[in-house]
Amino acid sequence: MENPEKPQQLGRKSRWRLYFALLILLFLGTILVSLNLGFSQIPFPDIINILLKHTPFVGDSVQLTAFQAGKESIIILVRLPRIFAGALVGAALAAAGTVFQGMFRNPMADPYTTSASSGASLGAAFAIVVGFGVATLGVYTIPVYAFVGCVISVLVVYLISRVGSRVPISTLLLTGIAVGIFELAIVTYLQTIAGDKLGPLTFWLIGSLSSTRTTWAGVTAMAPLIIFGIVAVYLYSRDLNILTLGEDQAQHLGINLERLKFILLILGALLTGAAVSMSGLIGFIGLMIPNLTRLIVGPDHKILLPASVFLGASFLVLCDGITRFLTTPASPQEVPVGVITSIFGVVFFLFLLRRKKRIDAF
Amino acid sequence: MVDLKIEGVDCFYDSAKILENVSFSVETGNFVGILGPNGSGKTTLLKSISRVLKPKKGAILLDSKDVYKLKTGEVAKQMAVVPQDSNIAFSFSVLQVVLMGRTPHLRRLQTESDVDLAIARRAMEYTGTWQLADRLVNELSGGERQRVIIARALTQEPKVLLLDEPTSHLDISNQLEIMDLLKQLCDQKKLLIVGVFHDFNLAARYCSSVILLKKGKIVAAGKTAEVLTGDNIKDVFGIDVIVNKHPVTDLPYVIPVSRPKELLRRNVSVHIVCGAGTGSMLMKTLTDLGFMVTAGVLNVSDTDFATAEYLKIPVVTETPFSPIAEKAQKANLAMVSRANMVVVTGVPFGLGNLQNLEAAGEALKQKIPVYILDDVPVNLRDFTGGKATALFDELKQLGAVFVKDQIELLRLLNVSVEKARLASDSPLVPDHLKPRRAGTESHITNKSEKA
Repeated sequence: MENPEKPQQLGRKSRWRLYFALLILLFLGTILVSLNLGFSQIPFPDIINILLKHTPFVGDSVQLTAFQAGKESIIILVRLPRIFAGALVGAALAAAGTVFQGMFRNPMADPYTTSASSGASLGAAFAIVVGFGVATLGVYTIPVYAFVGCVISVLVVYLISRVGSRVPISTLLLTGIAVGIFELAIVTYLQTIAGDKLGPLTFWLIGSLSSTRTTWAGVTAMAPLIIFGIVAVYLYSRDLNILTLGEDQAQHLGINLERLKFILLILGALLTGAAVSMSGLIGFIGLMIPNLTRLIVGPDHKILLPASVFLGASFLVLCDGITRFLTTPASPQEVPVGVITSIFGVVFFLFLLRRKKRIDAF
Repeated sequence: MVDLKIEGVDCFYDSAKILENVSFSVETGNFVGILGPNGSGKTTLLKSISRVLKPKKGAILLDSKDVYKLKTGEVAKQMAVVPQDSNIAFSFSVLQVVLMGRTPHLRRLQTESDVDLAIARRAMEYTGTWQLADRLVNELSGGERQRVIIARALTQEPKVLLLDEPTSHLDISNQLEIMDLLKQLCDQKKLLIVGVFHDFNLAARYCSSVILLKKGKIVAAGKTAEVLTGDNIKDVFGIDVIVNKHPVTDLPYVIPVSRPKELLRRNVSVHIVCGAGTGSMLMKTLTDLGFMVTAGVLNVSDTDFATAEYLKIPVVTETPFSPIAEKAQKANLAMVSRANMVVVTGVPFGLGNLQNLEAAGEALKQKIPVYILDDVPVNLRDFTGGKATALFDELKQLGAVFVKDQIELLRLLNVSVEKARLASDSPLVPDHLKPRRAGTESHITNKSEKA
């Protein structure tokens, strides 16, 4: 029975380091590529030079050419905040999706499952159509409403699902879907009475990272929240692993189940709300990135969660770059980034799925 | 040392009461089996102990502390649970799953140390799962997976191990292997094991004490041999069983017996002269068909006597290995004279039971019909030096009816043979009592070759 060899599993830490190195390289690479894409193509050496100029400590010694100086504002004020926003949204949606899928033990779960998206939509629709609070909140009106709508909606779902002191997972899932349908019905009604605001409302409901939404101010406002959310859920990665064994077993292993479910739900809602308030609804990422990542790195949330975050961020940044690449003077209407994410993501995902023949983890 | 006290527990699912006033107390080194039919509350009881379903009334005390007042993590350090079937759908490696058992001992940001790994390794070596460490848990067989889950439970370093039908999805060899392992844990690691089981014999073989549950209440609790009685099992499960001592282990061994649901009633009494198991099937068949059956004289150690006891048939007895004394013979004659008919089976006759044939003769003299099963020629089973054969001739002259087998007998008794559920080839005479025929030797050789 004695096995002198060490289980390979003990070497997983070094494999994880490799994954991390690759993911960070991928992330930085996509940022560079994405900076290059857009109306005006800016060569990579120029991009790097401009970025160096804005790097603390070394910036002062960098001299920009006339061409570079002309593109400086495009890179720094337009593309970079947009890329940061994309990275934050992608990371938040992927993290929230991973949390919800682990929590519901269901690969079909996504950040929107618990009515988070419909709650955000309702909040935004209310802000756009009713316009209450515009005076005080200004440009943040819609994001704030969307965020609040998302969190309130998830809390309502949680409270409805509560039976005594417990919240059964299956009830939570179904209640989320039901409340979501209810909220979307109200959004549809608001669309019919929106009048001249129908345009902005419809535009908002289609997710996008266009520069009207992604300013440095917005990014710096949301970044702490999203980073906090991601770090917080990472602290629960062991609990998420154990939760995948089922609720009873998790409890037998000493997990305070009801508290855990509440915390994860709220963190998931925070992440989703923050993402949606920046970009509106962008599909695929929260659903598919965690599944995709699981196919690659396996089900352990200690690696799955950070890997999903980086993959989600990279993926959205790249897709957004493609939308900008496709927006030319000949077709100035920007392709919604959700269209790109879905088309590219699904094709890649199905390819991976066919190769592995099954969803490994579920 | 640890003790577990269940005090007056009432459990509900919504408004349905599942457990009512359940109390018992057990301590380290015991292997306690909870038995009961489906819906009797076994699993609910386990859930209430393992802190999954809080009782409405009563308390679960672990070392005099209410488990519902302790933190979840505190309880998990002392109590581990092995569920019925842990269908882990996720492709975690076996070692990862086992290491999850360390969770109650680790703080949030703490990773498993070498000490934790050593504990997991010991548990895995103990359960024979160390060589599976790198395998994916969702690709294991049921028996392997259950051993992995037991390893995980041991990695929690608990004092109490709760089992919910831990072997119900396993084949017989895996069942025994897992149960041996658990028993060993109980004895060597000084664990208190409380398990829900379906199989009486598995419980009888391994449990030191047994709790019988019926409709949420404890019907009997105590030492296995004292609790697993025919009456208790009949009460709880509503089935008839024979409880024997296992010849090798000396533990109770439960054999369930099915009985027809509707008993016909016939106002006909049949007295059977039998022995050495030749009458058992006939007694059962005739009882099932509603005849009032009596038997005698039988020695107390006789197989047919055990059958008669089980069927609750009145029987005249004699001490083992003793010839029929006058007292027994008188009682037998009295029984015969009350019967409507007498049946003599193909029992071998010796000087000890020859009187039974005389009793048959008495019956004929009283105009009571006598049927003689003649499936084995009398001269082959006459160990009296011809006396039995002579008595047979006498009975023939007195008007005894000779029938060739049980089927023919039942036809004569005007019973539909189909109803009697007898296969025509069912041996009425046990093989070892049958006369040797040519070719028997080679038949035996064949058997041993097969074995």
